[in-house]
Amino acid sequence: MTIAASRRGFLALTAATLATPAIVRAADADVVTVAWPSDVPGWDPNQRFTPDAQSLFKAVFDQPLEQDTSLKLIPHLITQWELSPDGMTMPVELRDDVQFHNGDKMTAEDFKFTFFDRIRSTPGLDIANSWRKVQDIEIQSPTKAVMHFSSPAPTAPVWLAFLGSYVVPKGYVEQVGAPAFAQKPVGTGPYRLVEWEVNGRIVLERNDKYWGPKPAIRRATVQIIKDPSARVAAVQSGQVDIAINLPVREAVRLQSEPRLAAELDPITRIILLQVRNDLGFEDANVRIAAHHAIDKGALSRAFYNNAAVPLSQLATPGTPGYMADFTIKYDPELARQLLAKSGFGPEKPAKIGFATTNGQFPSDYDIARAIAQMWRRVGIEADLQVIEYPKYFELNRGHKLPEATLYSFDNATGDPEIFVGYMLNPKLPFSPWQDMVLGQKVIDLFNVADANKRFAGWQAIDREAMEIGAKIPLVQSVQTVVRQKNLAMTKYANGWVLAQTMRWT
Amino acid sequence: MTTILFLLGRRLLTAIPILLTVSVLLFVALRLLPVDPAAMSMPPNATTEDIEAKRREMGLDKPLPAQYAIWLRGAVHGDFGKSIQLRRDASQLVATSLPATVQLALCAMLIAGTLGIGGGLLLFHLRGGPAETIGDLGTTVLLSVPEFLWALLFILLFGVLVPMLPFIGQLGPQFSVASVTGFLLLDTLLAGQPDAFISALAHLVLPAAALGFAFSPAIMRVLRSSLLDVYHEDYIRQVRLRGIGEWRILVVHALPNAALPTLTLMGVQFGFLFGGTLLVEIIYSFPGLGNLMVDAVRNADLPIIQTVGLTYCIVVLLIGMVVDALVLILNPRLRTP
Repeated sequence: MTIAASRRGFLALTAATLATPAIVRAADADVVTVAWPSDVPGWDPNQRFTPDAQSLFKAVFDQPLEQDTSLKLIPHLITQWELSPDGMTMPVELRDDVQFHNGDKMTAEDFKFTFFDRIRSTPGLDIANSWRKVQDIEIQSPTKAVMHFSSPAPTAPVWLAFLGSYVVPKGYVEQVGAPAFAQKPVGTGPYRLVEWEVNGRIVLERNDKYWGPKPAIRRATVQIIKDPSARVAAVQSGQVDIAINLPVREAVRLQSEPRLAAELDPITRIILLQVRNDLGFEDANVRIAAHHAIDKGALSRAFYNNAAVPLSQLATPGTPGYMADFTIKYDPELARQLLAKSGFGPEKPAKIGFATTNGQFPSDYDIARAIAQMWRRVGIEADLQVIEYPKYFELNRGHKLPEATLYSFDNATGDPEIFVGYMLNPKLPFSPWQDMVLGQKVIDLFNVADANKRFAGWQAIDREAMEIGAKIPLVQSVQTVVRQKNLAMTKYANGWVLAQTMRWT
Repeated sequence: MTTILFLLGRRLLTAIPILLTVSVLLFVALRLLPVDPAAMSMPPNATTEDIEAKRREMGLDKPLPAQYAIWLRGAVHGDFGKSIQLRRDASQLVATSLPATVQLALCAMLIAGTLGIGGGLLLFHLRGGPAETIGDLGTTVLLSVPEFLWALLFILLFGVLVPMLPFIGQLGPQFSVASVTGFLLLDTLLAGQPDAFISALAHLVLPAAALGFAFSPAIMRVLRSSLLDVYHEDYIRQVRLRGIGEWRILVVHALPNAALPTLTLMGVQFGFLFGGTLLVEIIYSFPGLGNLMVDAVRNADLPIIQTVGLTYCIVVLLIGMVVDALVLILNPRLRTP
């Protein structure tokens, strides 16, 4: 990792001194090359929940419902839906004019297969975890179906536009089998997959029979470029037309390139500290002091060019759970007073463990180090340790995470249940906070179907969680996108970058 | 020829216990890591019961020797387990990624060999003169630059500053070539797509040069030292007394003998070079074994790490055998069984 840091530094330093480079490849009117930081885990969209792959899946597959740029649910394969007041059933009406890439017509049979039959017949599908409550899907006609749930499912419509919820073709999957489907997928999306080179590139060709608006770009090549410095060089040299997730300082530097547009957009992803309610954090004074001691504005300035919005709650601005009037202020003096109440101070610091990833999201390790320094000033001594992201869930399951862990939580829907509920539910794997006083309130709210009651309930829980120090939100994450200036695309609040919305101007 | 085949057969037989030993070491080392493959192969919100069931299914509830026996039985039948991250057969993933790395490593070796032999001859030619110090300094500088730094330098120089060559992937976005052998250069030719062949070749230049530049100085130095040794042999003095020209002495009489240690070194170097593809493949977005391995390490994807590790071992053993054969062909004195 030291190597990575020095490589980036070296590249940035040298590239900064270079004159404006020539463009290697002239922009073609209907082709685009995209630099993407990670490959898909396979082309079965129901199999793995990988947030970064969703934009790629959305090119080849369609979701029953869609979100507009401000994350509002809008019709897609489903034209009408209505969750019953008790949240136990949801009739849906499907489009009648949708074809899979192999020519098969999409019907309610495919919908039922995806969200019910397949979950039961194919072990190991991640989608099974989001649709556990589906008791049956009753087919009333080729375009009408009713979802029946075993307990209230207030977020069912939201989940129809979220991770892994893509309609797959029943006939084709049954014919070729799941492994072959994951290699050569057939979807209903605006693009067909014509080539997939693992860790290399993905080539998509426009689906000219697409039921919706046809993409302006005929051929999109997605180059998997894992090294951030290489993505910078690729877009700077013109070898790709658009690159995402570049280091913030590089994106800022590229803003001065006349032929490039560089954007730093806050998205529905929260960077926070996951907190335990025991060990060195058993004392609420220490937890709350730890929150007051962090200067989130300074973190945003230092690591996100001031583009990351400081957060004091488990919701991002513009989402239903966001409370504009609620904040936990940066107050190191208050932090010292709280620690003093519990007998701690700079001379006799409270000692805690602090885990962070290194390279999982931009500047994660540096952010953790900065926080540890801020804590030291008020009297909290953090023993910083690096963990690999895949280990997080295993450690949490075994109650082996330290008192605080730097974490990034993505919620493309913006729904407060998925922000607050998922991050605080002690029965789910995300939170090391295991206190059942708050936990039971969270679990109970999962069964409330009324939208207004739900949103108000999540806001109340979010507020309570902040007041007892059950979580320490830091900032709203930022997505960097650098593109050729004459390449336009639709911008989404959740950071989707969709080839089907791109066009040359 | 019979002797060579006999020696190679013996080498092949010794490869079996080596492979078994490496597989045991890899298996034990990976099982000692503080990761739970069962938990990691399940979605985050899987229940404890789901994970326990998965653990039983993967045989992880059994003692370590029994686990190894299960793995070995599968490996003998070509089943190296499933990738935890990608949930695909590890052997299939490795087989798909291997040709790109082999192609890259061979091209890099070609560049390293050309530079190394050319440079070695040049250094030898400069011996005793004032330019020798400059030559020595030059090889020291080359030796001290690792392959990933060459990779970044070449991207900056020939990709960004003077954009002459592509540095992303292994084929231009405008081309699609059906995979027949997996070796892209060959596949482009088989498909009758000369433009795609040129594009694939252009994409190979920078990553292969980065690796080649990093591995060439050792070849230069060994060749020069070997030539210096050979030139102290009596037979060189005798051919010189016969009035044979210096150039002919070097190429016809000295080089074949000096080439043996160089060739052996190149065989050893190829193993390191193969390992050196890890970072270079990531920097150049090359879809090879190194790229697969880096992801596997990041995600603690044990079946992939184990399969890639064994593949590296097999490649090194195979290269060793090829080099042995070449050395035997070049040096008849070594053919005594």
